[in-house]
Amino acid sequence: MKRVLIALLGLALLPVATEAQEIALKGKELFGDMNARHIGPALMSGRINDMETHPTNPRILYAGAAGGGVWKSSDGGATFVPIFDDHVQSIGAIALDPKRPDEVIWVGTGETWTRNSVSIGDGLYKSTDGGNNWKEIPGFENSERIASVVINPNNTDEVYVGVLGALWSDSEDRGVYKTTDGGTTWEKILYVNTSTGAADVIMDPKNPSTLYVSMWQFRRSGWGFNSGGAHSALYKSTDAGKTWNKIHNGFPEGKLGRIAIAVAPSNPSILYSVLETEDPKKNGLWRSSNAGQNWEHLNNDFGLVVRPFYFSRITVDPKNPDVVVKGGLTGSISRDGGKTFKDLGNMHSDIHDVVFDINNSEIMYAGTDGGVYRSWNGGTTFEIVENLPLSQFYHISVDDAEPYNVYGGLQDNGSWYGPSSAPGGVTARDWNSVGYGDGFRVLKHPTKNIIYSEMQGADNVWRYDVDKNRTKTIQPLPKKGDVKLRFNWNAPMAVSAHVPDRFYMGSQFVHKSDDMGDTWTIISPDLTTNDPKKQDQAKSGGLSVDNSGAENHTTIFTIAESPLDQNILWVGTDDGNVQVTTDGGKNWNNVTPNLTGIPANTWVYHIEASVHGKGTAYAVFDGHTTGDMKPYALKTTDFGKTWKSIISDDIQENAFVRNIQEDYKNEDLLFLGTEMGLYVTIDGGKNWSHFTNNMPPVAVHFIDLQKQTNDPVMGTHGRGVIIIDDISPLRELDQTVLAKDVHFFKTEPFTMTEDSGFSGSFGAETQFVGANKSTAARIVYYLQKRHTFGKMTMEVQDMEGNTITTLSPGKSKGINVVNWGFNTVAPKMAEGKTLSFGGFTAPRVPAGKYKVVLTKGMDTYSHTIEVAYDENSLGTMAERKEQEALTNTLYTMVEDLAYMVHEITATQDKAQDVIANHPKGKKDAQKLYDALESLRKDLVITTGDNYVASAEPELRERMGTLYSNVATSYDRVSGALKQNFELISEDFEAAKERYENIMKKEGEKFMNFLDKNELEKPAIQSKEAFLSKA
Amino acid sequence: MKTLQLFILAFLFAAAPLSAQTADEIIANYLENTGGTENWEKLDGIVFAGKLNMQGMQLPITQVMTKSGKQLMKADVQGQTFYQEVYDGETLWGTNQMTMAAEKSDAETTNNFKNNLNDFPDPFLNYKEKMYTVELIGNETIEGTETYKIKLVKEPIMVDGQEVEDVSYYYFDTENFVPIVVEEEITQGPGKGMIAQVKFSDYQEVDGLYFPFSIVQGVKDQPGMQITLTEIKLNPDIDETMFSYPEEK
Repeated sequence: MKRVLIALLGLALLPVATEAQEIALKGKELFGDMNARHIGPALMSGRINDMETHPTNPRILYAGAAGGGVWKSSDGGATFVPIFDDHVQSIGAIALDPKRPDEVIWVGTGETWTRNSVSIGDGLYKSTDGGNNWKEIPGFENSERIASVVINPNNTDEVYVGVLGALWSDSEDRGVYKTTDGGTTWEKILYVNTSTGAADVIMDPKNPSTLYVSMWQFRRSGWGFNSGGAHSALYKSTDAGKTWNKIHNGFPEGKLGRIAIAVAPSNPSILYSVLETEDPKKNGLWRSSNAGQNWEHLNNDFGLVVRPFYFSRITVDPKNPDVVVKGGLTGSISRDGGKTFKDLGNMHSDIHDVVFDINNSEIMYAGTDGGVYRSWNGGTTFEIVENLPLSQFYHISVDDAEPYNVYGGLQDNGSWYGPSSAPGGVTARDWNSVGYGDGFRVLKHPTKNIIYSEMQGADNVWRYDVDKNRTKTIQPLPKKGDVKLRFNWNAPMAVSAHVPDRFYMGSQFVHKSDDMGDTWTIISPDLTTNDPKKQDQAKSGGLSVDNSGAENHTTIFTIAESPLDQNILWVGTDDGNVQVTTDGGKNWNNVTPNLTGIPANTWVYHIEASVHGKGTAYAVFDGHTTGDMKPYALKTTDFGKTWKSIISDDIQENAFVRNIQEDYKNEDLLFLGTEMGLYVTIDGGKNWSHFTNNMPPVAVHFIDLQKQTNDPVMGTHGRGVIIIDDISPLRELDQTVLAKDVHFFKTEPFTMTEDSGFSGSFGAETQFVGANKSTAARIVYYLQKRHTFGKMTMEVQDMEGNTITTLSPGKSKGINVVNWGFNTVAPKMAEGKTLSFGGFTAPRVPAGKYKVVLTKGMDTYSHTIEVAYDENSLGTMAERKEQEALTNTLYTMVEDLAYMVHEITATQDKAQDVIANHPKGKKDAQKLYDALESLRKDLVITTGDNYVASAEPELRERMGTLYSNVATSYDRVSGALKQNFELISEDFEAAKERYENIMKKEGEKFMNFLDKNELEKPAIQSKEAFLSKA
Repeated sequence: MKTLQLFILAFLFAAAPLSAQTADEIIANYLENTGGTENWEKLDGIVFAGKLNMQGMQLPITQVMTKSGKQLMKADVQGQTFYQEVYDGETLWGTNQMTMAAEKSDAETTNNFKNNLNDFPDPFLNYKEKMYTVELIGNETIEGTETYKIKLVKEPIMVDGQEVEDVSYYYFDTENFVPIVVEEEITQGPGKGMIAQVKFSDYQEVDGLYFPFSIVQGVKDQPGMQITLTEIKLNPDIDETMFSYPEEK
């Protein structure tokens, strides 16, 4: 019958086979359960855009990150979990439905504090199940930045959304939108023009028909920022948005910039506003005591006027209208209705939002450039939330240590390096600071323990000698006759793969040093467009000048040295030039005119010089600072003479590209870092797949591929460092492999690492701990279809086919990864009253080849892997062999004892049966029972518990501990262990002898009695059956 | 082992069309494909025997479930038996691993546990009578497979003194309508807010009903622990005293 069914099965599949359809080399299933892991860091966290409290439960709190998604706390901020990981990670505003706050959550995406490095949003989202599932609300796809979501508490189907809109271009998707049906239909109820968006929408908490809206005229470009204009204004409506009036009575005439507005919840006729005006004396805090009829200027302290585009949030204490907090460089608090302010307590600078606990105004939460802070004493002292891994990397690199380190610089949080794996996980204390200010590129010297790092605009470039703990500043400086050097905010650096001490930097020129930055030579002309219109940063900012250097333009942004030839250098500039030299900088070829499909002057964000050919390179272009969000990536194989686009429709249309990383082995395998996460192609760019396994669509600013481990390491701008362990299986994926039912991927021999250091988990209760790379053997295979019906098992066998251990196979369609820790199975332990913890040790296998056998229904698939000893072992091979032999001896001894105890207890059971039921044999049975019991008490623990009421260890416990000690130390067996082994062997021999004697004496009589009375023998299993682990 | 039959007929289920489905239809198909509502209703008790795979150890475990609500889970280690989630009709208890003695669960856990007693043998069986609500959230690819994602809301539970919805999400394979993944937000303890995930596979027939013989439990995006069932007995004889809370410590 089975055969017939299989034949039928074959027929059913036949049509598919004959059509020979090409299997698409893309899609979520390609990656199966190949998962990304996050290593943070969280110690400096990252920028927060918006904080939100729950209307009735003070323990519940939300944080919207500028680039790292939505996080929810249920314990008053002690810990947070992410709840928005399937969607765009740049968050503008979070709002909870006042009637159903546990179910209905609104998220407006796109951060609203519009610095140069902001990410973009892509609309409005709503969850009706507390954040487990989200639906995108149609109509806001082009909103880019949503500043406010305001809900009528009496009728929660009535929602107002304030759209700030596009930062770098004109857009009609701006202003205030209203729905009265919970989000199905929307009406734009306040719109000014294509350059003016809604910066704040506030509802009078006692009268929901009264609304206040600040409209802001603003625009950013790659080389400047403009805040303010004739169209910025503060509006009020008293009829739920039907009509609007400006409420400027008392405000100065002329242009206005960004306006903050707040209503005192406890007295809604009191309003506070912060203005940016043409007259600096009139900037800062204004107050109205009559709901906006007229205004009084109160304060223009630094804390109230600083960088309005970055800090325009006012929060009023829900219980006291005179307690006012404003975001700022340090944050400011007033307790006299805004007349005077003092700074908030020490915390990370740049405070964007502050919320009060709903019941106790002493408790405050602040969202900063460095995460969420909490105060218990009205803002005097703040503590940081330690488990928000929101770090915003501009750039990362890796070294070749084991485990390798990750280096990178962060927005407003300096430069760092930390390990990709650490004992107990990657924690805050594993990260090392290697630079101040904003951090960007951090590079390890190829051979020396020296790290290069930099701060904004190359104001400082550091060479840090790690061993000696010495720092030297080495940035290129102008010499006599030089023009002014123009460095980008995020200035390019590169180390040479050919000359270890060689170090490159880019201003408008390429600077080369062959002595690690001590002396510099300029090896290029100005490689940019040198367009003076884009060089007037001193006037940038609009009404408030904001010349931080962040807008420096017409600069070199990327330098790539060919890994195949030290004389080939590629340069990309922020104003759209691609230049290449093949003679070490003597001659430069501007290949920009050869680019195809790239709008003029589009930022060249990264050039990747290929290992697959001297003339081969990839260039990615980012037009987002002109409002062009399209993905662009080109490939050349002829030094830039011709270029081909490698972008397909699979990539989201607003996923502009910042980075590309090629595989070193398979030219068709590429990784694309976009604003919306990671894309991977296995066919040179014909098809792309969005990688979403534990990988949110966060902006990926830089990708490096670690050569020894084949791990792509991503520097994300909002979720720290994210790693995918070993992508080598992707190199093998092609039509042939995808057509197979099961395919095992080739793996290099696995090293059985012997690392055995200590790790404490102190603080891990509330601190982020990054996931480690598994040190186990990774068995990787592809399944054409998920295994759901019938049996599927996996075991490891030695080359003779003996089972070593069984594993839990993944059943996913696509790639499955199964870890094997190189262990066989733990020995069977003798039964006792307590646990012998030594008995939980499963010994390691010897180095060599092993078969992995996957059984799926009737089919068997086999794959050979190789495991190798750790080269850093403390012992010699002979010593290791001795350790393995002694482990085996002890393993057998432990199981011999287990079997002996089994024989004893089975015999005792029978003796008890005779004592109870056969009076004639009672006396002999009792003697035997007693003798065996006395022996058993010396073999295993028969009293006490597993904790402090434990009994003295008996032979089982002592033997188990010795076994475990020998089995888990891979070097020379110490003298103490050997002596202990001698003692335990002797004890065991003595016990065996005692047992034999008992069975000869008391046992024989008892057995004779059983024989004579035709009673069953004790229920002793065969040794083989007893020890079977199947 | 005689009750366990090798199943190779998965392709028979593939006939179901991939057209628009309602949550009710998906659940009806699931119950039909796994043996039929009538047969599920006939069950009075189930004994599951299996192994928990833990780093080189195969821990033998047993679970007993009954229609009356009495339940038991136990694992045998080195001659000691550890009980977990044992319910005798009144008390929920388990073994303390230090003292090896039985201890009662806290009142809230016990009350929440009692809510689930009507879920034998399957929460979807007669879910309407139980006043559960179901909702088709949509199609989703999970485990590389097209699934229907269904939200199931059961009786509310109490968490730290506050009532919360008891929500879980089932992913039914669109080809054969069996759930392959279940997810649930962890509502208490250190993992609060994280998503607990259970993966089902190796469905096999036992006396006309289909059960997953492989269950992987864990937290989403982290490696889970696999339980492999070796035997499932339907309507076994059960000695009710095994559920009783041992009064003497």
